[in-house]
Amino acid sequence: MAVSSSAISSPRLGEVIETSTTGFLAESDQLHRLPELGALVCVGGLDDSRAYYGVVSHGATGGLDTSRKAVRRGGDHLSDAAIYDRHPELELVLRTVFNVAVIGYRDGPRFRHALPALPVPLHYSVHGCDRATIASFSASPRYLASLLSFHGEIMPEQLVAAHLRWVDNQLDDHHTWLTDATRRLARLMKRDYDRLATILESIAPD
Amino acid sequence: MTLDLARVVTSISEMVATVSPEHDRHRFDALRHLWETLDSNDVNDRLDQASTSFLLARQPANYRSRFPLPTVPESYAVVATDGSMILPDRHSPARFYLTNIGKVYLRYGADPFADLSADPDMRFGEDDLWINGDSRRVPVNEVILGLRRATAELLAAVELLEGEPLPSVALVDGTLILWSLVSLDPAITDSILPDFLAALRIFKQRRQPVAGYISAPNAADLMNTLRVAICDYPQRTGRVDCNDCWRRTMTEGHTPFCDILPGVPDRYLLTDIANLCPGERSQVFDSDSSILNRYGADLRICFFYVNTGREIARLEIPRWVANDAELLDRVHSIAWDQSQLGRGYPVALQEAHEQAVLSLADRRLVEETVERQLASQGIVFTRTGKDGSKRGRFV
Repeated sequence: MAVSSSAISSPRLGEVIETSTTGFLAESDQLHRLPELGALVCVGGLDDSRAYYGVVSHGATGGLDTSRKAVRRGGDHLSDAAIYDRHPELELVLRTVFNVAVIGYRDGPRFRHALPALPVPLHYSVHGCDRATIASFSASPRYLASLLSFHGEIMPEQLVAAHLRWVDNQLDDHHTWLTDATRRLARLMKRDYDRLATILESIAPD
Repeated sequence: MTLDLARVVTSISEMVATVSPEHDRHRFDALRHLWETLDSNDVNDRLDQASTSFLLARQPANYRSRFPLPTVPESYAVVATDGSMILPDRHSPARFYLTNIGKVYLRYGADPFADLSADPDMRFGEDDLWINGDSRRVPVNEVILGLRRATAELLAAVELLEGEPLPSVALVDGTLILWSLVSLDPAITDSILPDFLAALRIFKQRRQPVAGYISAPNAADLMNTLRVAICDYPQRTGRVDCNDCWRRTMTEGHTPFCDILPGVPDRYLLTDIANLCPGERSQVFDSDSSILNRYGADLRICFFYVNTGREIARLEIPRWVANDAELLDRVHSIAWDQSQLGRGYPVALQEAHEQAVLSLADRRLVEETVERQLASQGIVFTRTGKDGSKRGRFV
């Protein structure tokens, strides 16, 4: 059941700890380290030919045991990173988690921008995507429509804007993809100018 | 049925009135006067001759000395253990008990590090559930299992500090004085004490101090010593004699002279009368619990009190630690530091407790697993009628 190394070569970011058809929750391997909001991530499937893709829609750090709430640890003489040195147990009693909205999957050589038939497998690794994968997956950004109807912890406009910024950053192609994506978005949202404006303003003040 | 609080409220008010300091103002004044004029030599003379029925704090020098907080080591390691149990269930045909020992290792300084874990241990053999006494077989009960748990906690702490290069302290939740052995069958003491003392001895061999930490203790050893100090018997008969005094209260309506002192625990004395300041510790006192006669002179447990800022804590240490100034200071300063980090209670012990604790869900899981496996052996067990009525409450 191992995923072939050609399918997923990027480093592991975390592990799926809750899963459903529309998305999953992952726990980061390292405290405070998680993929950026809007990032494209990938989880291997139960067989080599499958992989699932999603966009990071939320992140949080808190007690491993949800009944234990974080309290102030510092003051004038102790703050920020030094708090973790002074309380070495924090690394073990806190955890960072992130939500991912599933937006597509790979079926053999092709990407499908649709909800997969089965949820992402529980306890499987979450990986980042390399530049080639990002470029292929986002080549025809029809999936932006599904992101626009996202229901979750943040507003869909924020999620779309974060994703657009992230892909543009990763591709580093003088905004070629971004220009095309925003044009498509404008067509999709022609009856909803206010929402479109919100997104455009967050992407590029310039 | 839920409690009808309205019918209890009056009693609560009455009780609270008796706790109020104004209620016994003259008794607290007597305590303050006694403490401030205490003659340690006279106290020790009285203790040498006294015949008493309660636990006393003793020490050869000045009872009232206070010691400032030593410098906390830059780098140190602290380990803490705590245990939790599932006791044998009278209502179940499967006889077993389960101990879960929480283990914490924390390192501070140039290379901070933490390790938290828990070790469950399930026992079900005849030898685990019964102890062969002199004339009869004794079933293990909550007290005996508590003592076994205390030994397991100590052994886990021994293991955690093996090979530790940094200055270190092992903290255990609760007392190091196994006083409950005093009233039990000698066979029980023989089955528990040797392993406990062997663990204490390993710490001594390694020169790693171990300390029992008790938060807001109800101990009154020092207060009892003050009762000896104030007693009027020495003036009349030459020595303190609680037996005679008690006899006279029964036959003559006599009031013990020490009744003038309030019935408060040592921690009250230390904060309100002795003014032990945050960070300071008291003298180190010997306990005279009779079980300590079985410990050996170097392992005899003594104790001191520390003001952690939030409360008074009682630290119990073996005699060999108390006799080593460097180690005594280390226990004092690290207990303080750990309490600051834990916002009032040592963080290492807090995390050990979190690792050890068995939730209701954990307990049900063990129960269900046992039931399922019994069923797979063809043994379907029915719970007792009483237990069934508690689990499936109906109208």
